[in-house]
Amino acid sequence: MDFNLQQDPPELAEFRREVGAWMEENMRGGEHLRWSASWSTRENEGEYRFRRGLANKLGRKGWLFPMFPKEYGGAGLTMDHQVVLETELIKYGLNLSHVFYTLARIVAPVVLKWGTEEQKREFLPPLTRGEISVWQVLTEPQGGSDIANCQTKAIRDGDHYVVTGQKVMVGHHVPPDYLWTLVCTNPQGKRHENLGWIHIPANLPGIEIQHMHLMMGIKNAIFFDGVRVPAKYLVGGENSGWKVANTHLELEHGGDGRIGVDPLVERVVEYCQKNAAGGKKLIEDDRIRDTIAEMILELNTLRRFNQRNFYHRFARKPHPYGGVQQRYFQRMARLRNGERLQQIMGIDALVQDLSVHEVVDFEYAVRTGPGQLHGGGTLDTDRLVFARRVGIGRPIVEKAPETI
Amino acid sequence: MDLTLNETQEMFKKVAADFVKAEVPTHQMTQWYRLKETFRPELYRKAAEVGWVGMLLPEAYGGAGAGYTDCAVVFEELGRGPVPGPLFSGGILGAQIVFEGGSEEQKKSWLPEICKGNWIPVPAVADIAAGWGPESVETRITKSGDGFVLAGKKRFVFDAEAATHFIVAARTENGEIALVLIDRKNAGIAVDRLIGFTVSAAEVVFDQARVASQNVISARSGWSILDAALEKTLPILSAYQVGACQEIFDFTVEYTRSRVVFGQPIGRFQRVQDHCVDISIHLDAARWAAYETLWLLDSGQPAKAGGHEAKAIASEAYHHACNYAHMVFAGPGTDYGHPLMAHSVLAHTLYQYLGTPAHHKRLMMDALFPKE
Repeated sequence: MDFNLQQDPPELAEFRREVGAWMEENMRGGEHLRWSASWSTRENEGEYRFRRGLANKLGRKGWLFPMFPKEYGGAGLTMDHQVVLETELIKYGLNLSHVFYTLARIVAPVVLKWGTEEQKREFLPPLTRGEISVWQVLTEPQGGSDIANCQTKAIRDGDHYVVTGQKVMVGHHVPPDYLWTLVCTNPQGKRHENLGWIHIPANLPGIEIQHMHLMMGIKNAIFFDGVRVPAKYLVGGENSGWKVANTHLELEHGGDGRIGVDPLVERVVEYCQKNAAGGKKLIEDDRIRDTIAEMILELNTLRRFNQRNFYHRFARKPHPYGGVQQRYFQRMARLRNGERLQQIMGIDALVQDLSVHEVVDFEYAVRTGPGQLHGGGTLDTDRLVFARRVGIGRPIVEKAPETI
Repeated sequence: MDLTLNETQEMFKKVAADFVKAEVPTHQMTQWYRLKETFRPELYRKAAEVGWVGMLLPEAYGGAGAGYTDCAVVFEELGRGPVPGPLFSGGILGAQIVFEGGSEEQKKSWLPEICKGNWIPVPAVADIAAGWGPESVETRITKSGDGFVLAGKKRFVFDAEAATHFIVAARTENGEIALVLIDRKNAGIAVDRLIGFTVSAAEVVFDQARVASQNVISARSGWSILDAALEKTLPILSAYQVGACQEIFDFTVEYTRSRVVFGQPIGRFQRVQDHCVDISIHLDAARWAAYETLWLLDSGQPAKAGGHEAKAIASEAYHHACNYAHMVFAGPGTDYGHPLMAHSVLAHTLYQYLGTPAHHKRLMMDALFPKE
């Protein structure tokens, strides 16, 4: 076994030097955005623009999707190259797999798997070059985790699908270029056989986006009112949206994997070294050390689950249940860590600190414990999928979809 | 990055798995645990013949010169049994202590005997019931004639009944910690099995038991030797617990398919599924903590914090895996004739052995963030 992320095979040394130098040059002036990872619910326009610009520059070199074929905007490289890119980005608190607000990390692999040759040539390059921002819009008001119970209809009319319906709790504060969504293409059809997966340009007439102010920040409601979407945007074929959904959901639900360290512990320790009680630094207090130890154990376990999933994904050996296991554990660990932060630093754990990025803001960590228990499906659906993948309660063992 | 076993390790794994199937069939194993007859000399001898005793040691001393991950792969399979006996306590940890702290002469004369399985050196460390740090060492060692004598009571010695020798941590007159090897047949040594929800555990009393001066491994710095040996071997014990968790996960999932209640297999009930999810999380948390630390050791990187982390996670995992399995098996799982009971009793024992998870978490913190 080799867990190493830093010692490359000799032939990659030059590539690491190249990426390192490139990042240094392109991060100049943006160093203060360290740890501004993929996503922020804070409406920081400067940060957003910087990230999108960086994604675009990386994308032009094929480095956002280093393992994708060149003709689709990738670089045709290996997993070792991907690891080099990831680890060089991590030095700046960034993460390739999240691709800076664009959601291409999920959309592009799904298009690669299910798109026609024509769709791949048209849809992939703008995604893999980081030029466009896509929102996944799956949740409907009545459906919740049951996304197959999809009421947004897309009825074929000549060369178009006419889309009518509503999606909720999606996106962030900056409007997207495309909406990546599940629709009902045959209202009379059987469950799972009546769906379509469609990539909708967000500027088409009849689309309205309204902000929703939620516990975890800004999300949106999207209304489709007779939106005419050219039929070429349907991915995976007529009434075949559920197979596309399976690939998408595997990537969304932890199966994408990642490498990198959660910066939260580092900041907790820093806090405990700076603050004292009764003349004694918090970090010297055994009870606080015990609490930090619990955080470290769980965040390390999470890091290892993420790395395992990353390996299985890019080695094309899908882990049967690794994705949902990671996701369930992550959510429960985040919830427990929220309580631990409160035990360590009292009211400071509940007060927003705008001087640091939200990934290391204690208030954000506490608030998003309960706030992120359900995004993309509840804890209960995680465990349900786990049972199916292991073959508990059903005669058939459901396979994990292969993704790239 | 490559998170798979290499060919040699796959082969080790298969040999160990076949050994467990052939030598430790489930019905036999449950009997041994039920009757507390966990030391099977013939089993230990066979394991020594295959090369698993002293597996980490260089071939020059009779060992197998195996890597840490190689050895762990074997112990993971043994944990699936769970194969009882002093394979870890004597064959890995005891051997490692001698290797870390012994003089060249001691190593040359003792280690080949240990690796052949003739000598089983079982560490006897803590005098007190709850504690495994240096403060737990109370047994006194004093000069007597041309040798020494030991006086004290080690409250929990795992695999004591299997020992041919004990490696005793003892307090010197200056308050330092010595490590000595003592022949179990010496006068003044009593081994009393601990009866209860534990297995392979005994109290060992040293009543003016004589130690020859050539059997002193360290006169002063016994604790640092013990520490060095633990750093290299805790992940092996963790791997054993990983194997045990894997076995529990597998037989519990199987049971959810075959057990029918309320007119359907219990696996249909989502609450039963949830228990399986919880077992899997503990299992995989322990697996990757252990193997990451083993990789650190194999690649010569600092592994002190990792070793303590792995022991903490794996002991908690084994303990919780049993508890969740008890939720699934209910009544039948509480029968001493059921394999779950062997695991349950062993899991509680290993939770205590060499220190509880809480103990190792503190040691991990001390390794990461030393106190001022």
